[in-house]
Amino acid sequence: MLRRLRLVTLPLLSLVIALASMDAGLARQARPKDGEWTTYGGDLSSRRYRPFDQINRENFKDLEVAWRFRTDALGPRPEFNFQSTPLMVNGVLYTTAGTRRAVVALDAATGEMLWMHREDEGTRGAAAPRRLSGRGLAYWTDGRAERIVYVTPGYQMIGLDAKTGRKVPGFGRNGVVDLKLEMDQPIDLETGEVGLHAAPIISGNTIVVGAAHLPGGVPKSRNHEKGYIRGYDARTGKRLWIFHTLPQKGEFGNDTWLQDSWSYTGNVGVWAQMTIDEELGMLYMPVELPTGDYYGGHRPGNGLFGESLVAIDLKTGQRKWHYQLVHHGIWDFDIPCAPILADITVNGRTIKAIAQPTKQNWLYVFDRITGQPVWPIEERPVPRGDVPGEWYAATQPFVTRPAPYDLQGVSIDDLIDFTPELRAEAVALVSRYRIGPLFTPPPVSTWEGPRGLIMVPSSTGGANWPGGSLDPETNILYIYSFRQPSIIGLINDPARSDMNFINGQARDPSAPPPAPPAPGPAPAVAGGGGPALTVQGLPLLKPPYGSITATDLNKGEIVWQVPHGETPDAVRNHPALKGLNIPRTGRAAGRIGTLVTRTLVIAGEPGFFTMPSGQRGAMLRAYDKATGAEVGAVPMPAPQTGSPMTYMLNGRQYLAVPISGAGHSGELLVFRAPQAAATTSSR
Amino acid sequence: MMTRPFFFGCIAVWMAVMCAIPRGQEARSVWDGVYTAEQAKRGEAPYGQHCAACHGGNLLGAEAAPALTGFEFGGNWSGLTLGDLYERIRTSMPSDDPGKVTAQQKVDIVAYMLRVGAFPAGMTELPRDQQILTTIQYLATKP
Repeated sequence: MLRRLRLVTLPLLSLVIALASMDAGLARQARPKDGEWTTYGGDLSSRRYRPFDQINRENFKDLEVAWRFRTDALGPRPEFNFQSTPLMVNGVLYTTAGTRRAVVALDAATGEMLWMHREDEGTRGAAAPRRLSGRGLAYWTDGRAERIVYVTPGYQMIGLDAKTGRKVPGFGRNGVVDLKLEMDQPIDLETGEVGLHAAPIISGNTIVVGAAHLPGGVPKSRNHEKGYIRGYDARTGKRLWIFHTLPQKGEFGNDTWLQDSWSYTGNVGVWAQMTIDEELGMLYMPVELPTGDYYGGHRPGNGLFGESLVAIDLKTGQRKWHYQLVHHGIWDFDIPCAPILADITVNGRTIKAIAQPTKQNWLYVFDRITGQPVWPIEERPVPRGDVPGEWYAATQPFVTRPAPYDLQGVSIDDLIDFTPELRAEAVALVSRYRIGPLFTPPPVSTWEGPRGLIMVPSSTGGANWPGGSLDPETNILYIYSFRQPSIIGLINDPARSDMNFINGQARDPSAPPPAPPAPGPAPAVAGGGGPALTVQGLPLLKPPYGSITATDLNKGEIVWQVPHGETPDAVRNHPALKGLNIPRTGRAAGRIGTLVTRTLVIAGEPGFFTMPSGQRGAMLRAYDKATGAEVGAVPMPAPQTGSPMTYMLNGRQYLAVPISGAGHSGELLVFRAPQAAATTSSR
Repeated sequence: MMTRPFFFGCIAVWMAVMCAIPRGQEARSVWDGVYTAEQAKRGEAPYGQHCAACHGGNLLGAEAAPALTGFEFGGNWSGLTLGDLYERIRTSMPSDDPGKVTAQQKVDIVAYMLRVGAFPAGMTELPRDQQILTTIQYLATKP
């Protein structure tokens, strides 16, 4: 009997041990080998950090261009907004690129194309809410097989053999998982408004896929697709779990949707990158707001899990904790980027923390095991607005520490003041609008005024999708933010939406009527009417227009802050500013990701300017990570549009920067350390 | 040493290029009244139909797409030509199907963008001819 038991139990035990060790092995695969960059965020903690120092303050200005890869042919037309972060594994660089979101494998030393994969999705791709090349892809291995996994514009997940680029037959149906299926709601396979431009994230055998929709300032309807999040088996493509970011009847949080508004409201997806703590087995999801970016009258209640950071069990999809950063959002403060893991020490106490950058310029820092704020987050009363039918939250959470990394709200003191005349013009301009602190509610737009809310940060931040970087040696978090206002007004327009209010501005009643629309259904319009917020062509707000901020997460204090980006030509050459000494203003023309190495913070500039050589372009800049002092810069033919990454190969450090912009289609520009540095470091 | 046929070939190419550029089109900028008010008005409808969903009814941009007027747009395009701008629109916009807006509508949309950007209108329409558009500089600030 005992022997028979042994016969049964021993193999079982061996199997359990084998499975456990295999799982541990798989868990290790997500941690990059020395020199590699195997996930979108550099690692699953989303730190965008590598401890390399071959490229350093002494040689940054002498970086060599190792190779360049143009993406024009990867799709039926060129792309001008190349946002990917490539991966580098085993000497091969993988990236999505081009208007069809093709995947390419390139020799990481030379840029030679090893293979290319494309999906022609026809009308499904053309109707996708998130088109173009996307933010990147994911890599998986079990130690033998290697796969590249990405999501197409038409919301299909594709599994490719990393060596050949061929679809993996055993993954989904012939290498394809249709993400518009098994989403716990009916979705039209062609026109259903759900997609994704983020990279999937993989830990062990679990792939997690987010959901994105069209921007929601002018939704056609209050009825909308819901952005549920799902986990899939990396071997088979089979769905493992689904998390209802908009809880259904009987589920936790459903009672925060009043008047059954949960049943028809949609969105609440995760379009940003996500983060995983493999040791805890936790997935952290930065969730966007529900349908209607600026009007929530059809969705009364706080509306979980809108604008919440949600922690769930990676294997089961069960909720562990959540924290709602904005109640009943009406400012489009979607959480836009990956939260970042940091093991910090606060007043002698070690905390496994998670820091969430936001559009609203607060870093929200939590204990990532419990979800408790590291420093108090206080519920404070906020003003109620007067939009008919709107449901206003009485309080909003205010972060008490660290201090915000950029402007929150706008007052007269924040307006341009290069000269008294410019200030006076700015004051006259804003008098027609509502201004105020963070969480000032948007008004119904009237021509007489207020025409709208001048919102700072704008509905695109602050910080946006590139997020930040973290140096685990010091627990200093680096983030780029920009300072730019947006006008949010509310109008009623039944021809365009069944919402009572959508974003737009009242027109001048004495102006000639707008051109008659073409026949057919009314087109969607993001915003509407009104002038640009400039004063004699200059930005409405004081500089800095773009900054990089370093925040010490052990202390909850800002360590340094520098303007990022050269002063725009239009400021340097403006006749009203002749003779004035204006320090570097930074730039707000893009969304910028940072990279941290052993000694440097590296980031390219957003937007073009006339470089010291007289050529049009943008600089890639390096800052001393301890002080923020600029220690080097190299010219690029176009601004940075995807976040930079770095890798070591054959004894040399490389630095890859996706660039593109006006008149310059997508290109991967790859620098490397000068030969002399490689020789020195190999001694 | 340059051979005679090569030399005359070069001359012929140079003359062909010079003849292709219409007289009076050199060294103009968007400040020289390069479109008409009527054309800009004509461009407003296709803009609203095909562009506003992403770039906003006011050209000020939105989450999905950048502004097509104002400080940042001007900074990014200043120094390029209307030929560059038209080519960008011709090849890639609207992003779901660039073929669904005609070449004439696209150049009318450029005229509409110039009007919203407060560049002066003139007496002559912006032509569809890319070679001529390439002779008109986009300058964010008045020279």
